[in-house]
Amino acid sequence: MAEAPAVFEVAGGDFGGKLMVTRRTGRAVREALADTLEALPKGGVLYVDTRGVELMDYSFADEALGVLVSRVAGGEYGERYLVLVEEDRDLLENIEASLRQRSLAMVRVDEVGGEPAVVGTIPDHLADTLRAIMDAGSITNADLAKKLGLNHTAMNNRATRLAKLGLIYRKIETAAPGGRQYTYERIA
Amino acid sequence: MKTQLQFDVRNKGAMSGVLTLGSLDPVLGAAARVAGEPVVLDLRSVEFVEPAGICGLAALLEFLIPRSEEVSVALAGRDVPAYLERMNFFRLFGDRVRTNVDVAALEERQRHNPGTLQELVNFHTEEEIPGVVTRISEILENQGYRLRERVAICSTLSEICANAAEHGASEDGASDDGFGAFAAVQAYNHIVSGAKRRGEEVLVAIADGGVGVRETLSQNEKYAEHTTTDNDAIRCAMMMGVSGTGELGRGGGLALVAQISGRAGGSLSLRSGSGRVTAYHDRKNSRTVPDFPGTFVRVSLPRKLENTPQERLSK
Repeated sequence: MAEAPAVFEVAGGDFGGKLMVTRRTGRAVREALADTLEALPKGGVLYVDTRGVELMDYSFADEALGVLVSRVAGGEYGERYLVLVEEDRDLLENIEASLRQRSLAMVRVDEVGGEPAVVGTIPDHLADTLRAIMDAGSITNADLAKKLGLNHTAMNNRATRLAKLGLIYRKIETAAPGGRQYTYERIA
Repeated sequence: MKTQLQFDVRNKGAMSGVLTLGSLDPVLGAAARVAGEPVVLDLRSVEFVEPAGICGLAALLEFLIPRSEEVSVALAGRDVPAYLERMNFFRLFGDRVRTNVDVAALEERQRHNPGTLQELVNFHTEEEIPGVVTRISEILENQGYRLRERVAICSTLSEICANAAEHGASEDGASDDGFGAFAAVQAYNHIVSGAKRRGEEVLVAIADGGVGVRETLSQNEKYAEHTTTDNDAIRCAMMMGVSGTGELGRGGGLALVAQISGRAGGSLSLRSGSGRVTAYHDRKNSRTVPDFPGTFVRVSLPRKLENTPQERLSK
């Protein structure tokens, strides 16, 4: 955890500066993001910082982030995660619209190390689970199940889906004697 | 034999004398019947040209020039020729059409029009869009437009330009009259659309020579029931997530442009084939218009009075 987090400043690259428009530009940014993501060790988190961007149209947002998030959720990058670094402002609308279209979500923070929020959409029951994991920071399946009043299998299923969507870490801990226990952690 | 295409812009109530998308309709209809003979476009009754009018005129000329021995444009007065010159109209069409106007004299007294955010520009690919958007954003910033307003104007322009580049350009890039698309943006210190009232308004217009909305949507079987008429197809295309390819994530741009303009108290108007739909924040109006190839888009973005620099200064 001592290592500096990987941050990709979208406005900092040679893509379009403060004005991010068109799918073509989105594709270029997405490819650069994917390269950075793939270079991370397993379990790594890439912070996508869009705070320097003034304007992002829907086409750009969908191509750069919507497509990338869907690939992360599809398992294309193994256990590597994306976190959006952006304040709660108008620019989020287009990212939100793209992720909603795709029934996907991303973890968002105001700044690296800030409190996590969610952009996009996931079913209500998953949102409750995600909220509980984010609040706890790190929690075992058993504790989470207890907290939400669910049986262990149902809890495990929900958390597995969240982990697949790239919204939480899911770790197996071998608990003596002979048991396996899952621990869930927030990614940001 | 000479075909005279008369623009009737006089009996349009509040829009009297204005060359807009609607006042082009009779001429667009008549243009389809041109078969090689010389054509005269009579614009002498036009007193005022808005971006949708100039983009529509450009698309009309691209259609007529290869189908007519000679195309002439007749203009009257000084304001309209001077405006067309400032909008780069003669730079794009001067050597392809005849005109009764002394263009050289206009060039000499050319002056900058502060309201012109984008002169008539011809583009073919998505690659050209960021440059256009960047330039407009800078002009808007210099004129004191707030970030929110700039975002509304620029993202509207980039989305409809992207649609035009995608559907307007021929797939193989080698179609006969593949002129790509035309765009123009103008800011007014009064309200142009609808009834006369105080305020400011930005008009964004695009015209492309592509296959049109209905044919694009027809590629997607899912919308078979919505492509019976051009108006059905246009209404459908304005909905979130509707696109010709059906790929997830596509088809959000136009829906969001409708939202942006509606929220600002403006409108999004789309003309394609024989359909014309205008979307306001609470309703959509459709009407049938003479069939013409391509797609024409007009977006009206009124500015709230309290947002104008003058108003802010006086506070």
